Amino acid sequence: MTAIIIDMNKRDPLTSLERVSLALQYKQPDRVPVAPLVCGASHRVLGITYDRWSQDADLAVQSLLDTQELIGFDAWLTLVDLSVEAYDFGQEVIFPRASTAYPNTDNPRIKTVEDYYRLEKVDPLKTKRMRHVIDIVAGLSRAKGQEIAINGFVYGPLGVLSQIRGHERLFKDIIRQPDAVLHAVELITGVLEIYAREQVRAGAHAVVLDPLYSSRSVLSKETWEKFEGPFSKRIADAVRDEGGLVVVHNCGGGVYFDAVIKWISPIAISHAYPAFDCTTWEEHADRWGREVVTIGYSDPANISFLLRPEEVIEDCRKQLETFKNVDHGFILSTGCEFPPNGNLLNARAMVEAAKIYGSN
Amino acid sequence: MTPIEERLHQELSDAVVEFDEDKAIAASQEVIAQGLDAYEAIDHGLAHGMERAGKLFEDEVYFVPEILLSADAMYAGMNVLQPHIPLGSERKKGRVVIGVVEGDTHDIGKNLVRIMLSATGFEIHDLGRDVAPRRFVDTALKVHADIIAISTLMTTTMDGMAEVIRILNRENVRGHFKVLVGGAPISHAYARKIGADGYASNAIAATKLADQLVAIHAVPAEVA
Repeated sequence: MTAIIIDMNKRDPLTSLERVSLALQYKQPDRVPVAPLVCGASHRVLGITYDRWSQDADLAVQSLLDTQELIGFDAWLTLVDLSVEAYDFGQEVIFPRASTAYPNTDNPRIKTVEDYYRLEKVDPLKTKRMRHVIDIVAGLSRAKGQEIAINGFVYGPLGVLSQIRGHERLFKDIIRQPDAVLHAVELITGVLEIYAREQVRAGAHAVVLDPLYSSRSVLSKETWEKFEGPFSKRIADAVRDEGGLVVVHNCGGGVYFDAVIKWISPIAISHAYPAFDCTTWEEHADRWGREVVTIGYSDPANISFLLRPEEVIEDCRKQLETFKNVDHGFILSTGCEFPPNGNLLNARAMVEAAKIYGSN
Repeated sequence: MTPIEERLHQELSDAVVEFDEDKAIAASQEVIAQGLDAYEAIDHGLAHGMERAGKLFEDEVYFVPEILLSADAMYAGMNVLQPHIPLGSERKKGRVVIGVVEGDTHDIGKNLVRIMLSATGFEIHDLGRDVAPRRFVDTALKVHADIIAISTLMTTTMDGMAEVIRILNRENVRGHFKVLVGGAPISHAYARKIGADGYASNAIAATKLADQLVAIHAVPAEVA
C-alpha cells in the first residue's frame, strides 16, 4: 500500500479512506467510520445467487460496489467465506444457491494422520478461489481504491486446516498428533503469506487476518500460541513487508488480546465480545481501547433479525458512548459478518448513527 | 460400596479426565468380570469423570480439545458397560432430541452439549447435522422426548429453529416439550422472540438449563 496523504485543509468532507485511516492512527476524523462487514449480503443487492457471487469475481465486485453506494459504509471486507483457502488445497466445498459455501465435512481432504503430510503447496494466483478474492480486491481497487478502504481477508492457518480436516478431528489431533498438525500448519502458512501479499499488491489497504481459535471459547492461550501464534506473525509480517496494514478479526468469545498483539501486532482488532480479561465493553474500552483500535461491536443476529432501524441507531449510540474516550480509535462495525440474509436497512442505520452521534 | 467398586469407579473417572481410552476399557471390562453393577460404574465412574472434566472446562483448565478427548474415553467405557445394563433399569433424567438445523453442518457445539447431557444422565437422541424441522418434531413425538435441543452456527439457518416451534404450535403439541436453543448467533433475545424455553451459551450452561427445564416440565406431569 502506498502512503495515504490527507489534506486536512480541504473543505470537502473526508473520503471514507481518509476517515478510516485517521481512526486507525488515533487521529480525529470528521465522524466515526462505519464498516458493517456487508460481504455475502451484497449478492442480494445485485440480484444474483450466492453461489455465483462466491465464484464470479466480476459479479462480486459489482455487487460490493453497488452495496457501498446503497449503504454508504467506509470500508469493504473481501471475506467470501471460510472455505476459500481450503477449496484450493483440495477440499470438497458445497455451494448452496442461497447461503454461504461450506466444506463437505463427510469428505475431508485430510482423512488420516498421514494425509497431513500429503498436503501440497499451491500458488494462490493459479488457484480458483484465492484468485477470486485477489480479483475482487483488484476490481474494487480499480473502481474506488482512492475513496473507500479495502480490507482483504485471510483465514488463519489453523482455521484453514480445520476446514480440510474437520474441527473435531483437528482439535483431537492437536493433542494426539501435534507434529502432524504443525507440519500442515507450516505448509499452509507459506501459501497464506503469498496470498496475503498478493491481496496487498492487488490494492488492499489492509489485510484482515482471522485467527479464530485465539479465544478462550476454543483453545487455551498456550495451545493457540504454539499452533498458530508464530505462523500468524509470518503472515502479518508479509502484509507489512508489502506495505499493507494488518487487522485482526476474531468473533470468538474472549479473544486473547495480549497473545494476539504479541504475535500479530495488528493496527486494529475486529471482534464481537470483550477481550478475555474483561467482562464488560466499558471495561474493555478502558483496558484495550487505547492500545489497539477497536472495530465493533453490533451483534449481527440482533441487527439482522431483532432490531428495527431506529433501535439500531440507539444501539450504536450506546456503543459510540462506550468508546468515546479511546482517542478516536474506534470504527463502528458488526462483531462478525453482516448476516447474508440480514435487513440491509439496518446496515444503513449504522451509518446514520455515526452521522448523528459520531460526528465531531 | 466395596473397596474394589470404589477403586474401579475411581479408575474409570480418572480415565475420562486423563483422556485414556485404554484405561477406560480395561476398568470397564474388570467391572463386568467382577460382576459389578454396570450402571453404577457408568454413573459413579465414567459420568463422574466427565463431570470433573466439565468443571475443568468451566474453570478454563480444559478447553474444547480436552473435552472431546475426555468424551472419547467416556464413550469407550460405555461401549463395554452398556450391553450389561438390563433393559429398563437405567435411571435417566429425561429424553433429549438434539440436532443442528437444516442447512447447517457445524456440529461441534451440538456435540459438546450432547456429551455433557449424556454424562449427566439424559437419554440422547442425536439427529446429527442438517436436520429438517419436521424431523425434530416427529422424533420428539416418537421417543416421547422431554427436551428438543436445537443448534445452529449460521444466521442463514436460524429460522429453522423458529420453524420447529411453529410446527409444534400448529400441531398443538408445543406443551409436550421444552425447546432449548443455542449456537454462536443465538441470544436470549432471539430465544424469547421465537418462543423457545431457554438459551444456553455453552455446553455447561446447556446442561444446567436442561436440568431446570426437566424439573419444571416434571411438575405438571406429576400433578396430571
